Amino acid sequence: MTLGFAQLPTPDSPLRHLDPRWKLAGLGLSLVAVALLRTLPAAGIAFAASMGLAVAGRLPPRWYLVRLGLTAALLAPFVVTLPFLLPGPEGTPSWHGVEVALVLSAKAATLVTVALVLLASAPFVDTLKAAHCLRVPGLLVQLFLLTYRYLFLLGEELARLRVALRVRGYRNRATRHSYRTIGHVAGTLLVRSHERGERVSQAMRCRGFDGRFHSLTTFRTGPKDVVFFVLLAAGSGALVFWDMAQRM
Amino acid sequence: MMRTDNAIHVEELTYAYARGVLALDRVSFGVAGGECVGLVGPNGAGKTTLFLCLAGVYGRRDGTVRVAGLDPGRKEDRRQLPAHVGIVFQDSDDQLFNATVFDDVAFGPLNLGLPPVEVRHRVAEALDRVGLRGFEQRVPFHLSGGEKRRVALAGVLAMRPEVLLLDEPSIHLDPRGRREFIRLIQGLEGTRLIASHDLELILETSQRCLVLDRGRVIAEGPARQLLADAALMEAHGLEVPYSLR
Repeated sequence: MTLGFAQLPTPDSPLRHLDPRWKLAGLGLSLVAVALLRTLPAAGIAFAASMGLAVAGRLPPRWYLVRLGLTAALLAPFVVTLPFLLPGPEGTPSWHGVEVALVLSAKAATLVTVALVLLASAPFVDTLKAAHCLRVPGLLVQLFLLTYRYLFLLGEELARLRVALRVRGYRNRATRHSYRTIGHVAGTLLVRSHERGERVSQAMRCRGFDGRFHSLTTFRTGPKDVVFFVLLAAGSGALVFWDMAQRM
Repeated sequence: MMRTDNAIHVEELTYAYARGVLALDRVSFGVAGGECVGLVGPNGAGKTTLFLCLAGVYGRRDGTVRVAGLDPGRKEDRRQLPAHVGIVFQDSDDQLFNATVFDDVAFGPLNLGLPPVEVRHRVAEALDRVGLRGFEQRVPFHLSGGEKRRVALAGVLAMRPEVLLLDEPSIHLDPRGRREFIRLIQGLEGTRLIASHDLELILETSQRCLVLDRGRVIAEGPARQLLADAALMEAHGLEVPYSLR
């Protein structure tokens, strides 16, 4: 069965003891700020700050680096080609292209780091409950929770389908038959997800679910929560303004 | 004439899916309060559809249905149904979606709007009843099939339903898990309707049973007598249980 929730470590750290609402608000704000950055120095500072958060959050190094590596692998095709897609005057790779590639890499690494800090510094459900408290629409919170939960279940469904294909001699090849098979598998997976979704929804309704998640978790705000939020908000704001000033 | 004060009263219930396939065809039966009744039939007989009609998931249908005194077809009654009727689904994964066993069992009582102290009390009580005390902080998806089934049952028991609908309770369970679950069902109070292909389970838990095939109630009577009828079993895709051969 799925290890979905167990894949999230929750190491004991100063961030772990913060009120999830203030933490979510602060980190959410910094995510938006990072997305707005355009210059290399600002993106570099943001990445350095996110590393500081990762250290404060005591993220398990291997767990963190594996996920950062996956992000790098996904980004690599775009980053490597950017200097050539934004060429210099004589068609040679440009410094501008290299700079854009570096900004993109730094921003992606920062976003992933902050998101991982958020995930690893509180149980996932507490973070969702905090989102609910911060007036994030209930539908969105439910979507996150159920997507997260059932993504792993669908992953297992896909793994079973792949085994079923292999035991009947199927191998991935660049042939019409392979493409048709992949199409059918994708279709089957969609139908099964739909059916699963229907059954989950029925089970929830049978237990009185009316569209709102209720919780027994209570959050307490202390001075350190407010200080953490103010520091993050002020730092993010200052970085965005500095970035804008550099571009003028 | 059927008694209308039954815990479950179904008369001429007909239900068809949107594409026109008739799933239940003039189904009539009653289950007295506190009675445990088995519901047997081949695949596609309409057992799960019948449960979903009783639980108010399928609202629009023909016929009369009263469960715990409520009409699942009426919107106002449907809102009250979860407090009175509990359903344990075939696949526990459909029912368990929270991060901890505690959260999953507390899901129903919280939806009923119970105060936190009462919710905690009910969760502890329900986990105790299914033998899973101490599992509160465990992740439901890491449990064995039998444990998951028991968490799903605890989630329903925590709502203290008068009527309990169990859909294929022994499916995917190993012999030990199945045996433990049978003991658990035997120890439950209240009205129980159990749909299963596991006829030995029906024999061990139910005095009376219904045979459903192609959406119709074919036979109704004492479980031992019905399940020992080789011709009836053969005609409806079932087999006489080993213990009755």
